[in-house]
Amino acid sequence: MKKTVLSLLIMGHMTQVEAQDIKFTEFDLKNGLHVILHEDHSTPIVAVTVMYHVGSKNELPGRTGMAHFFEHLLFEGSENIGRGQYSKYVENAGGGLNANTSFDRTFYYDLLPSNQLELGLWLESERMLHAKVDIKGIETQREVVKEEKRQRIDNQPYGTLLQETMSNSYKVHPYKWMPIGSMDDLNAAQEADFIDFYKTFYVPNNAVLSIAGDIDPLVTRLLIEKYFSGIPRGKEFIPRPTVVEPTHSGEARDTVWVKDQLPLVVQAYHIPAQGTPEYYAVDMLNQLLSEGGSSRLNRSVVEEKELALFCGAFSFGLEDPGLTLGFSMCNMGVDPAVVEEAMNEEFDKVKNELISDQELQKLKNQVENNFVSRNSTVAGIAESLANYHMYFGDTNLINTEISRYQAVSKQDIMNAAKKYYDKSNRVVLYFMHDPELLKQ
Amino acid sequence: MKKSFLYITLFASLFLAACSALQPVDRSKVPAAGPAPIIRIGEYQTFQLENGLKVIVVENHKLPRVSYQISLDVVPGLEGSKAGFVSMAGQLLKNGTATRSKAQIDESVDFIGANLGSSSRGVSGSCLKKHSSTLLEVMSDVLLNPSFPDDEIEKLRKQTLSGLASSQTDPNTISSRISDLSKYGSSHPYGEFETESSVKTITRDDLVRYYNTYFKPNVSYLVIVGDITPEEAKTQAEKYFGGWKRGNVSENKFKMPTIPAGNEVVFVPLPGAVQSVIDITYAIDLKPGTQEAITASVLNNILGGNSFQSRLIQNLREDKAYTYGAYSSISPDETVGSFSAGASVRNEVTDSAITQFLYEMDRLTKELIHDSTLTVVKNIMTGNFARSLESPQTVANFALNIEKYQLPKDYYETYLQKLNAVTADDLMKVAQKFIKPSNAYITVVGNKDVVGKLGRFAASGKVNLYNSDGSVFSDLKPVPDGVTANTVLGNYVEALGGAAKLSSIHSFEQEGNMAMGPMVLPVNIKAKEGGKFRMSVSMNGSPVMTTVCDGNKAKMESMGQASYPEGQELTQLRMQTDIKAELHYQDYGITPTLKGIGNIDGKEYYVVELLDSEGEVMSTDYFDISTSLRYKTVVVESADGNTSVNESVIHEYLVFDGIKMPSKVTINNGAMEMNTTKVIWNPKFEDKDFIVE
Repeated sequence: MKKTVLSLLIMGHMTQVEAQDIKFTEFDLKNGLHVILHEDHSTPIVAVTVMYHVGSKNELPGRTGMAHFFEHLLFEGSENIGRGQYSKYVENAGGGLNANTSFDRTFYYDLLPSNQLELGLWLESERMLHAKVDIKGIETQREVVKEEKRQRIDNQPYGTLLQETMSNSYKVHPYKWMPIGSMDDLNAAQEADFIDFYKTFYVPNNAVLSIAGDIDPLVTRLLIEKYFSGIPRGKEFIPRPTVVEPTHSGEARDTVWVKDQLPLVVQAYHIPAQGTPEYYAVDMLNQLLSEGGSSRLNRSVVEEKELALFCGAFSFGLEDPGLTLGFSMCNMGVDPAVVEEAMNEEFDKVKNELISDQELQKLKNQVENNFVSRNSTVAGIAESLANYHMYFGDTNLINTEISRYQAVSKQDIMNAAKKYYDKSNRVVLYFMHDPELLKQ
Repeated sequence: MKKSFLYITLFASLFLAACSALQPVDRSKVPAAGPAPIIRIGEYQTFQLENGLKVIVVENHKLPRVSYQISLDVVPGLEGSKAGFVSMAGQLLKNGTATRSKAQIDESVDFIGANLGSSSRGVSGSCLKKHSSTLLEVMSDVLLNPSFPDDEIEKLRKQTLSGLASSQTDPNTISSRISDLSKYGSSHPYGEFETESSVKTITRDDLVRYYNTYFKPNVSYLVIVGDITPEEAKTQAEKYFGGWKRGNVSENKFKMPTIPAGNEVVFVPLPGAVQSVIDITYAIDLKPGTQEAITASVLNNILGGNSFQSRLIQNLREDKAYTYGAYSSISPDETVGSFSAGASVRNEVTDSAITQFLYEMDRLTKELIHDSTLTVVKNIMTGNFARSLESPQTVANFALNIEKYQLPKDYYETYLQKLNAVTADDLMKVAQKFIKPSNAYITVVGNKDVVGKLGRFAASGKVNLYNSDGSVFSDLKPVPDGVTANTVLGNYVEALGGAAKLSSIHSFEQEGNMAMGPMVLPVNIKAKEGGKFRMSVSMNGSPVMTTVCDGNKAKMESMGQASYPEGQELTQLRMQTDIKAELHYQDYGITPTLKGIGNIDGKEYYVVELLDSEGEVMSTDYFDISTSLRYKTVVVESADGNTSVNESVIHEYLVFDGIKMPSKVTINNGAMEMNTTKVIWNPKFEDKDFIVE
């Protein structure tokens, strides 16, 4: 009798994916929570993770920094967990925990000894069902987050680099502000804002529960049903930005005055959203320009012309169209305009000449090495699985995405350079030293 | 047999889980843990090549990758005026060999998607297993035949100098440099760091000598981790590193740095900083692999380890919200270990945060750790240990430590037992030995505005100011040739009316008033050669404050309370009533020193420090370059650990019979104003006017 119920439960609408390397099972609960399980018994630990599809791009002007601020508050407690007890439960059980917030999503993780799996599920389900935040918690974390902003941005050399690049590159899309938000908005956030935010975004139908490690998938599924199936599906409409940032709308240039000594040149180009075929071509192009000592920007600008301490271009892949972030930290006494010209030469070279077979093979070998190396921890695997489901709706990309890179041709790379690395499609920023700022 | 047992266990747990899943969840109950899993440490193999190279192999076939690490177990000597050459030599290994240019090395490593790095302590690389012979070919060439090409040296020098310039605004880099310099001192290799001038003096010979002295197989380890068998590892080790020639490497010994007798405060001003980077630090003698080191790490986890339960996080972040994170470390080391506790905090709470750090440190030495705290910290550390074993590199590090520190073979197998054996009494002993809230260097990198509040943490009451390169701080410009303290003071005397004119004055009487807000009180000063004076302030016709000095002793009466100024305070008073003081500083035991040219609101001033007979700074005077007149005097006083800064600014001079006297002086930004309205030169005074009762 029990056995029949058991097999019904397990068979439900679960599908087994036979993947090449990373095996996993995935299914949806009735409330819309997507679950991914990966079994690996090499170490007696388990990563219990929840990814919510909410980041700074879901914020409203005047409340920037909300998603990240709220991430801090969700460690405060719940109906059944007293203030400050959340981390105690995990750490007393020999586990570790943390969370982070990006432009597109918020990710919570508990790394536990595998005999504490149920504790992790209880904690994460409490967070999803009925988190509780009091005024002391809000006021404390408000100051803590402001310190985080000072420590990571305001008090760091070139700390505003990404902020300036994003705000200059995006005029209408909410990528124009950083996940940390502005001091004014952090000061303005009210308890009512958090309640709205929680009701809208922290619902099972906006989350992925991804678990990897020393687990039995069947037992795990039953425990997940126990703790998560009673959480009601969200009733609110989940808003997502629909605004499209115009590209190729003319070059924008600006100078940012900083106290840092060396000039820094930023070139940011609009690129397609991650997961699109052209994105892979752009990413391979950036690898050609920047990965390893033999990469073109390093070889030319750093090694041969000796103009810079560092030079590279990196894909900042995002759910909506992101950026290629090219930058050079100039050597002392070098004119940033000369450095920018040297960068342009390398961009132009890819537009005008196909790369060699040898170079293409190098890029493919690098891609292969990176793919093999990245799945080395259960926590990393849990996060990758959740990413692939949340952004692309195809969890198995953890095994197959490599073929999308391997399919990129020399012509694709040239085409990507021509189409996206165009003057009209970029923002150029010079970060220049202002001695007046040292007199403060 | 074993298999069917597993099956039954699995079925039982499924059954139980199914039952509980069908019941309503009692969410108020914390789920019980299952039976504790067994923590297993992976295995490793060791062997030695004929040239003395010790090899450690950790076999792990989970991913088709292998990593190779050559690690030198040496303590390099002092670098002195050429600080930076050790690091530069290490970086240059991979920038050219006898047969490969840097471009060729980069190209071969990148082509196989591999990584290769070199440092002063060795070379390391990783790649897919199928490319391992290609990587090892380059890696062994880099290790055995580096050529230190001149053009690569100059390129790296240029980059290093640029890097130094860019680090001038990095508070964390500055903090770690200044902390190392403070706790280890400049005559210990751990206290050295490169500067612009040291990097400029490094020659190719220095680099080659470093390589020839320390890069020997008999003082090195080769650690191989990944998809490889011990047999394959042995073949590769012999093929690629067997030809490395052994040689004698002498051991460098250094004196153990001492801790300060009382707390010292070291401050590096960083213009525009919105946070203070605080580090409370000192050297300790704690060796790795000892039971004491395990006990110390338990203590550190309670204080400021990487957990939300630590006292520093709970106090400075969760309770007071001073910081995003506050941490501590107690690091064992064969040469010299270190204690460190710190955080980045907003400017306004810099002093409050230091108070809390010292409070938490002090508490460890006085309060026995509660059993429940001890249980929690052991759980945390057991969990950290278990999770660290996910990486095969951890096993390799364990093996390396066992070999390097000659630990028992089962050191890590029995680590959890040793951890569990630690008691509250053990922690108290270790705390009293290693936690020194009164013998620490408190280093702060931050905004100059916060420095005034830091003196009270120093035993001397004084803050030592440094530049980011470790030199003593000065924001002054150098003076032109020929300008000395004597010329500055001579011009000042000339501007007042001249030495001859001043020498003709033997006594004077000065009248004026003292204003504090709306209250204006008349002041009268009578002074006579030989340090005799009487100063009185009155209210409604009767004196409220009188100070008298007979040339030797003084008495101050205020509102019926008497005090007897002496020492530096008395000297200050006597000098204030001596208009010829600058003509005979030696009588006061004072040596004036010209420090440079300072800038106040766009105007330039000569800055002169007056040093007392013990060489301590008594006051700092600012002389206007255009008028030669004194503009400002700053007196820093410290008593009982409290420091006060008194600043007086002269806004106006008036001429009384050919001699200029300050006629309008404000003290401490206008808290008090002194005005002089009338001066009579050489009035007749009797000695009885200056009797001290």
